[in-house]
Amino acid sequence: MNIVVFAKRVAATQEEELRITGDGKAVDLSKIPFKMNDWDNYAVEEAVKIVEAKGGTVTAITIGNQDSDEILRRAIAMGAKDGFLMETVEVSDDPAVRVEAISNLLNKENIPFDAVFTGVQAEDDQFAATGGILAGKLGIPYASMVIGIDAVEEGHFIVRRELEGGLQERIKVKIPCVLSIQSGINEPRYVSIMGIRKASKVERKTFKFNDYRAGQEAMIELVRWSYPEKKGGAKILTGEMDGICRELLGILKEKGVYQ
Amino acid sequence: MSYALIVSEVRRGQFDERNLDSIGFANLAGKAAYLLVPQGDYAIDKGSVDLIIDTGLTESAFLNPLVMVDAITKVIDTAGMPDLIVFTHSSSGVELATYTAGRKALPIITDVSGYDKNEAIFYKSYYSDKVFGQFRKAKEGPVIVTVRSGSFREFVSDRGKAADTKALEGISGSVEGREFIEYVEEAKTGVDITKAEFLLSLGRGIGNKDEIPVYEELAGILKATISGSRPVIDKQWLPKERQVGTSGKTVKPKVYLAMGISGAFQHIAGMKDSDCIIAVNKDPDAPIFQYAHYGIIGDANKVRDKLKDILKG
Ligand SMILES: Cc1cc2nc3c(=O)[nH]c(=O)nc-3n(C[C@H](O)[C@H](O)[C@H](O)COP(=O)(O)OP(=O)(O)OC[C@H]3O[C@@H](n4cnc5c(N)ncnc54)[C@H](O)[C@@H]3O)c2cc1C
Repeated sequence: MNIVVFAKRVAATQEEELRITGDGKAVDLSKIPFKMNDWDNYAVEEAVKIVEAKGGTVTAITIGNQDSDEILRRAIAMGAKDGFLMETVEVSDDPAVRVEAISNLLNKENIPFDAVFTGVQAEDDQFAATGGILAGKLGIPYASMVIGIDAVEEGHFIVRRELEGGLQERIKVKIPCVLSIQSGINEPRYVSIMGIRKASKVERKTFKFNDYRAGQEAMIELVRWSYPEKKGGAKILTGEMDGICRELLGILKEKGVYQ
Repeated sequence: MSYALIVSEVRRGQFDERNLDSIGFANLAGKAAYLLVPQGDYAIDKGSVDLIIDTGLTESAFLNPLVMVDAITKVIDTAGMPDLIVFTHSSSGVELATYTAGRKALPIITDVSGYDKNEAIFYKSYYSDKVFGQFRKAKEGPVIVTVRSGSFREFVSDRGKAADTKALEGISGSVEGREFIEYVEEAKTGVDITKAEFLLSLGRGIGNKDEIPVYEELAGILKATISGSRPVIDKQWLPKERQVGTSGKTVKPKVYLAMGISGAFQHIAGMKDSDCIIAVNKDPDAPIFQYAHYGIIGDANKVRDKLKDILKG
């Protein structure tokens, strides 16, 4: 079983202040730390687990500038055999452009796969679109929000996909296929500094994104950025920690949940 | 007339509320609303749309992107190309929408939560609502969207008459590539967080698993029930039955005290109707402060420890 995993380097903005600059034209990420997209971490782990059990290889592919090489090193440290970078200075906002390039890469470079895994979504653009568009374009089966791979059998997977509120559907998906992997499906292995260092010695290939884009123009364009509309918002408790906490307890009493 | 093709969602025999956002979105965009539905006896407000297209498919076949792309193709063949194909931004909606976009080579914008009619601008969340990207089509033609639950239902309007139903013939509910086996329901276990009056809810911001017992101690003193955001469940700091959100439980306690939770919409959807929401987060821009009634900007673990000190007095 050969599995190709698409993984992405994203800005970890959860605890950071995000500033829109240049009259709404850009978001300043210059001071923000980057990391592997959380969902992709689960996707790589799932692929490696399957290959460890069934044989075969995992190939990790990422789109980005040279910095995205860290994603490939991480994936290799987790157990991927190869790492390919589709190098581009600027990543298109339109997922269709990215998918055009990756599907052309798979075809032209004859990268063999039984399955393509992606994370359910990227933390930055939250598009959740790569896997679906790719499967549609390649004309192969697709399943998203995969929260359990119950069986890897001759010619197909049995997977559970998450619907909502705890409801899942169990389905049979024919190979080759594309699966988008949901967080929580496994426990991604710990990657040590030593492991990353070892992975750095494995050769990673670079392909020029634009060579595979095949003239695909963006079908949608991001014209400007804006901050969310303020909804009134919370009354912020201020002062010393002791005072704030006493005020909080007062609110709990007033609401009748604490005596 | 230009129309929006709305792919509805029916789950376990219920016409999902999320469909109202799709219908509202079509209205806001000024398009006739054609609703694509599976078979079934569910209740549906026929005055809120312009045409109902009954595929005759079962509810589970309606979850299959390989089947649905055929149904959508058939609609296009008979009614012409729509201006919009609208799905809900849910598990199945996103799956169907993206697959359709790939097969039909159509543009797609997901998680649309706002629309500016004058400029034909779609608002899409980035970085869990910290900023929004304003998108527009790069060229004329149809576009596929998935719309965020709760964003457009206020634009649903009554036509004053019930829509006609048209049958879409000849769509096969079974394909070789993907087959439905069964629904799987999460096992019912001990705690039911939906029954609690006071939830102490923990997010990734608390740092690591070792903090959990200390929060449990606080919860014990306050007689609160512990719940959490998805990452806390994914990392197995807390069991699945404690998860709040679209893929967990929907809760409405008297007090929802969120500590170290950013406020992604999948989380907000599960707790926004709580009587009183109190958020503790060290980031003053965390989206959760937009939904909370009270906020504390600070380190959750320090707030926890201080509360414990005071309570132990
Ligand atoms: C299909 C799908 C379904 C999903 N379903 C759900 C669901 O049901 N429920 C759910 O919750 N999520 C769900 N999610 C995930 C959701 O998108 C978010 O990723 C998740 O809610 C984020 O959880 P969080 O707020 O705990 O973590 P983060 O977004 O990482 O936020 C952590 C917060 O903690 C703050 N923080 C950090 N350190 C401290 C500190 N010391 N003190 C105080 N604050 C601190 C940070 O500022 C940040 O705001 C789903 C996603 C998808 C794609």
